[in-house]
Amino acid sequence: MSLTMSLYLPIAGNSVNCLAIFGLGGVVGLLSGIFGVGGGFLMTPLLIMMGIPPTVAAASDSNQIVGASTSGTLAHFRHGNVDIKMGLLLLIGGVVGGTVGVQIIAVLRKLGNADFLISITYVLMLGFVGGYMFLESLQAMRKSSQPKTEEPQRRESLYAKMIRIMPLQVDFHRSGIRLSLFMPFFLGILVGVLAAIMGVGGGFIMVPVMVYLLRMPMHVVVGTSLFQILFTCMNVTVMQAAQNHTVDFILALLLLLGSAIGAQLGAKVGKKLGGEHLKILLASLVLIVMFKMLYDLLAMPDVLLAYAGGH
Amino acid sequence: MQSNFSHHAKHLLLTTVILLLPALAAASSSESLSVVPASIVMGAQYNGLDLTVSGTVPADSEVIVRLTGAASELHLREKGKVFGLLWMNVGKVTLSNVPKVCLINASSPLELLGKAAAPFRLAALAKGIGIEKDGGDASMDIPHQLLLLKTKEKLYGESAQGITLGPNEGGMRPFTAVIKVPSALAPGEYQVEAISVHNDAVTSHATAAIKAELVGFPKWLSDLAFQKSMLYGVMATVVAIFSGLVIGLVFQSKGAH
Repeated sequence: MSLTMSLYLPIAGNSVNCLAIFGLGGVVGLLSGIFGVGGGFLMTPLLIMMGIPPTVAAASDSNQIVGASTSGTLAHFRHGNVDIKMGLLLLIGGVVGGTVGVQIIAVLRKLGNADFLISITYVLMLGFVGGYMFLESLQAMRKSSQPKTEEPQRRESLYAKMIRIMPLQVDFHRSGIRLSLFMPFFLGILVGVLAAIMGVGGGFIMVPVMVYLLRMPMHVVVGTSLFQILFTCMNVTVMQAAQNHTVDFILALLLLLGSAIGAQLGAKVGKKLGGEHLKILLASLVLIVMFKMLYDLLAMPDVLLAYAGGH
Repeated sequence: MQSNFSHHAKHLLLTTVILLLPALAAASSSESLSVVPASIVMGAQYNGLDLTVSGTVPADSEVIVRLTGAASELHLREKGKVFGLLWMNVGKVTLSNVPKVCLINASSPLELLGKAAAPFRLAALAKGIGIEKDGGDASMDIPHQLLLLKTKEKLYGESAQGITLGPNEGGMRPFTAVIKVPSALAPGEYQVEAISVHNDAVTSHATAAIKAELVGFPKWLSDLAFQKSMLYGVMATVVAIFSGLVIGLVFQSKGAH
């Protein structure tokens, strides 16, 4: 007797092995739970490799991220790691930035060479974010391994002075910081613009922005990032389903069963890892994706035609 | 006079029969072409299938069996080198009349079947495709690249395997071909053809239509996604949130113990 694990997906127009999809969801969900990133930058290329059309892979991935980030947000919320006020401000900024970014990309496409700018932005952003996080975390880990000495008095940077004098200062209790309301809003716009140009959820940009520019503690960053991603992906899922008919709900359900479980485990693993360990692991992941993208840009493809759509 | 008329009539009848022979042969093959299963039913468990095509052909001929169909428009990106260094999308290509599937099996390698086989090969298929380009390299061989793309996806292919020929029975012999239909098949109308060739000539050409259609849950889901797309999107989002919450709560209860 043979037990078939294949399932036909009518929107993707292909059959898949349920266990393989479940496993893929689990691995990406684990990363999502640990680092607070949506995982779209990993999941979509892997789904395409499994025979899913690029447009369906990207849209269905957004649908599964809704489930995974719900589960992840819940887990982090229970641990007190979601700053809802900060998340909402970043979200509002992100929606405004996303709308602006879509307009920018439309103008760039008319001018030509938009794809070149997108690819270069992608590689540079990944390289800069990944490289900076990696080096900074490495330095911090080295310092913490040395015997503790008297903490030297830090001189206040220009950036710190600037954020201190901005108007509408409020307390973000969960994050333990005091900031102007404009800060998360404008940074949300910035991430929204970049995410729209690059065609991704923006989790891997948002996390470093929260850590380095908003100076939030790493564990609150992860929970708050997931909270924000949840709303972004809800919007994307409904829009993609209504306009492009590219959401494969069954594919998403299989992925999210794996990823929601993975995200729960990820939240537990993340809790056990130190903030610097988390940062250095995320930085390594971002750098790996950057090198893969760079390789794809430099190596001649087997086929010089590709389907339109996808990330 | 009557004998002369009779002679002319016999001559005319003979000429007509000779002229109609290939058509009659084709018609007779067409009648005997059998495709099993008669339709491709795409339910939740569909994972591609083996399509068995059988019929008879003139005894001294080789056989080509092909599955083609569901012509559609295709939107593609053309890749090219920018600044002599980076490979990226440099143009858009819209192709029309592209069959989603073209799978060709032959009883001998197609290269050995001569010019009679040429119109039934992948290279000939590319000639009927409409091309619209926006940017990119004007000299790029788009049809060739399309064949590479589709062959990589296993939707196009040429093979000299999968056909068995039976013994000669009164100048004809039976054949059975097995076509591996991929799982990435779109619903639609397809055509199965059996062509026999001998000495650079087509000796018979039989066709049969076959329909691929969604049934059961995949059909229901597809109808919902395309006909009530907003409802489908909201449902997909709500189910995702609900599933995430349930899994979250399950973990919470496990964590409590």
